[in-house]
Amino acid sequence: MPPAVPASHFLFMVAYALLVSIVFATLLKDQRRDQVKTGVTMFGAFLVAAVVFGWLMYPFPL
Amino acid sequence: MATKSTTAERPRAAAEPWRLALVCALAWLIPGAGHLLQGRRDKGLVFLVALTLMFASGLWLQGRIFPFEWSDPLVFLGAIADRGVGLPYLIARAADAGAGTVTAASYEYGNTFLMTSGLLNFLVILDAFDIAQGRK
Repeated sequence: MPPAVPASHFLFMVAYALLVSIVFATLLKDQRRDQVKTGVTMFGAFLVAAVVFGWLMYPFPL
Repeated sequence: MATKSTTAERPRAAAEPWRLALVCALAWLIPGAGHLLQGRRDKGLVFLVALTLMFASGLWLQGRIFPFEWSDPLVFLGAIADRGVGLPYLIARAADAGAGTVTAASYEYGNTFLMTSGLLNFLVILDAFDIAQGRK
C-alpha cells in the first residue's frame, strides 16, 4: 500500500520545481558544472516566483 | 568560448532514416532511451529516473490520465500530454491506474505531474532526434 499523500501544497510545488529543474538543466547543458548551475538557478527561481506570486494573489479571495 | 567535449558528445554525421525513427520511437517508449542508445549515458539515466518518478508521483497524487475526448479540447490536449511518457503510461493503463480522485486535494497537482512528464519527454525526444541528426 503506498504511503499517504501529504497535504502540503508547498511540498508538491517544491517536488515539481525540483524535477522540472533537473530535466531542463540536463537537457540544456552538456557539462556537469553548467548543469548544476542552471538547475540550482532554475529551482531557486521557481521557489522565489511561487512565493512572490502567492503574496501577490493574497488580497484576492477565491 | 570553445569547450572540451567527449567523444560521445561531439556532433556526428546524420543517422539513417530508419535509425532516426528507431531513436525517436525508443525515446518515446522509454524516457532517456534515445540518449542511452547514442552514448549519452548520464543524460539518459537522468531522464529515465526523473521522468518516470514524475509520472509515478502524478499517479500517487491521485491525478487522472485523461481519455481522448474530442468534445473537450483541453481534455484532448491533456490526453496527448499524458501519453508522451511512453512505457510508464502503458503500464499505468494496463494496471488500471490513473482514474483520478477529483475530490482529493492533490488531484490538480497529480494531473500537472502526469502531463508535465509527458511534455518534457517530448522535448527529450526532440533532443535525441537532434543528436541523431548530428546537430549536437
